[in-house]
Formats: sequence, structure tokens, C-alpha cells
Amino acid sequence: MGIELQFISAEALRDKTPPQKVEFILEEIKKSKDRILVIEGSLSNVEERELIAKTMQLVSKKFPGIEVASLGEQSSDFKAQLIKLLGGKPAGLTVVGPSTLVKQIKRDPNKLSLLTGK
Amino acid sequence: MPFRKFINWLTSLFGSKKSFSLGLYGNVNAGKSTLANRISKDWTGEEMSQVSEIPHETREVIKKERVSLQVDGVSITMNLLDMPGIATKVDYRDFVKRGMKAADAQKRAKEATKGIIEAIKWLEHVDAALLVMDACEDPYTQVNITILGNLEARKIPVIIVANKIDKKNAKPDRIKNAFPQHRLVEVSALKGTHVDKLYKAIAECAK
Repeated sequence: MGIELQFISAEALRDKTPPQKVEFILEEIKKSKDRILVIEGSLSNVEERELIAKTMQLVSKKFPGIEVASLGEQSSDFKAQLIKLLGGKPAGLTVVGPSTLVKQIKRDPNKLSLLTGK
Repeated sequence: MPFRKFINWLTSLFGSKKSFSLGLYGNVNAGKSTLANRISKDWTGEEMSQVSEIPHETREVIKKERVSLQVDGVSITMNLLDMPGIATKVDYRDFVKRGMKAADAQKRAKEATKGIIEAIKWLEHVDAALLVMDACEDPYTQVNITILGNLEARKIPVIIVANKIDKKNAKPDRIKNAFPQHRLVEVSALKGTHVDKLYKAIAECAK
């Protein structure tokens, strides 16, 4: 089977709290071991922290974890809330995939490179 | 060393009253425990953590309380916290590849995940942090960015430590270029190179 790239708009996550957003991301990742999510917008500090902590709770023999990287400015939680209130869209994008599929994500401020393999 | 302990005790009684928690954060195998041992040995005469080439040797927060530093006439008493390395994945098979039995590897992986969660929780409770990076590795990792972002959001002072500069392939400038807005000290925790500069930076952080 090939790799599935799932693109998720900022709108799909707009009304979710950080824990809900993290839960959504991990549920989507766990649905298929061949799926990589590309999410519109970068994650906030709290969301990044929650994502790592929640991932660790889910680690098992079959699910060793994730690779994740955000592109673009990391928004503070206050700024993210403000953008949401004003009806704007968060800048940047986030790539998340299971570590069994995504071996490495190389990044610089303006570029992300994914190395996949099984 | 009894004499040093006595001096530290006296300092804690009569010296300046700066006391704070300093957390050592970073990716797995960045050299946090080696640095924690260096700091602890220099100021208390005792090491505090076990060190290993196998990742996730530190799987719970290790505390060394009342470590007193004297730098340029200023005395600081701190609680040193050696944090488990933070990662987004823990695969027990990586430990098996290094010669561990499957059952032991799975146990280590389970403990490592708990340690990572504990380290993340502590991000809210430290007064200052050393973000330790291996100068031979790409510094621009999600773990480093997440740690820095969370510390910045809480206005917790952070010093980036470019570690392992004794290695031939060390490139501390990469770290400097990746995080130019932060204070950086280049050290070799193993050899003790430039740790005096780090102690000065810690003292300034505690002011």
C-alpha cells in the first residue's frame, strides 16, 4: 500500500481546544499506519507539549510514536486565540506521521523534508 | 568532600539567599546527565546521575538539592534537576538492537515514556533551564523548538548549552544560527571545557 497524505484545513480544527486538537491528530494518525497529516497552521506551545505527552501515553509495541514538525512561526496561545476570535487563519503548517512510517523530518525555517520508509 | 560540604552548609546559612530550581532539558543523548554530573561534582563533590550510550538512561527526574555555586563573589543555592530526554517516539526495538532482551527493552521503553511525561510536566515548575544540545547533531528539532517555546511562553530564563564541542564533527555555530535570540554557551561536559562560562551564565540567570 502507498502513503496517504491527508490535508486538514484550519477550519476543521478551528473550534477545538488544545486537548481536542491533539486527540483529533492522534486519532487520525492511529487510523492508518500509512497516513501522514498535513495540517494548515502551526501548533501552539501548549498543543506541541500536549501532543508529545499524549503520544507517550499511547506508545506501545505497535505504535512507538510520531514524527512531527511545524513550519512557520510558532504562535503563542494568546495570539492563536486572538486570530481565532478575529476569524483569521493561523499561519504555517504542521506535518505529523507515525514514526514507523516517517523516519525523519529535516527542517529549516522555510522548508520541511520528510524521509519515509518501513 | 567534607570541607566543601561544610562550606556549602555555611554558605546556605549566611550567604545570599538565591535559591532556585534549574532543569536540564534536551533531546535524548544530548549529554544532560554528563553535564549534571559535571555541575554536581564541581560544587558538591558527588555525581548525581548514571550515564550510558543506550538512549533513555535517565527515565525519571533526578534531583540534587542545595547545590551551591560561588561565582564572582555571588553565591547561588539551587536544586539541580536532571530531566529525562524528551522524544516524540520510544521504540523498544532500538534497545533490542543495542543488545537488550525484548522484555527488558519493553520495560525500559515504558519507563522512558513515563519519564518524558514527567519532564514535560516539570516545564511549568523550573525557575530556569539549560537546554542541552549535541553540537554534532541538527539542532532544529521539534523537541528543542517545543521546549524553547514553552519556556519562553512562561518567561523562564533559558541558556542553550552547545555540548560535546570536544568532538571533531561538532558545529556549535549551527546552534547559534538556529536560535540567535538565546544565550548560548559552548561546552564539553565530558572534558569540563568552558564550564566556568556556563557557571557565570547560570549566576546571571539567578540574579
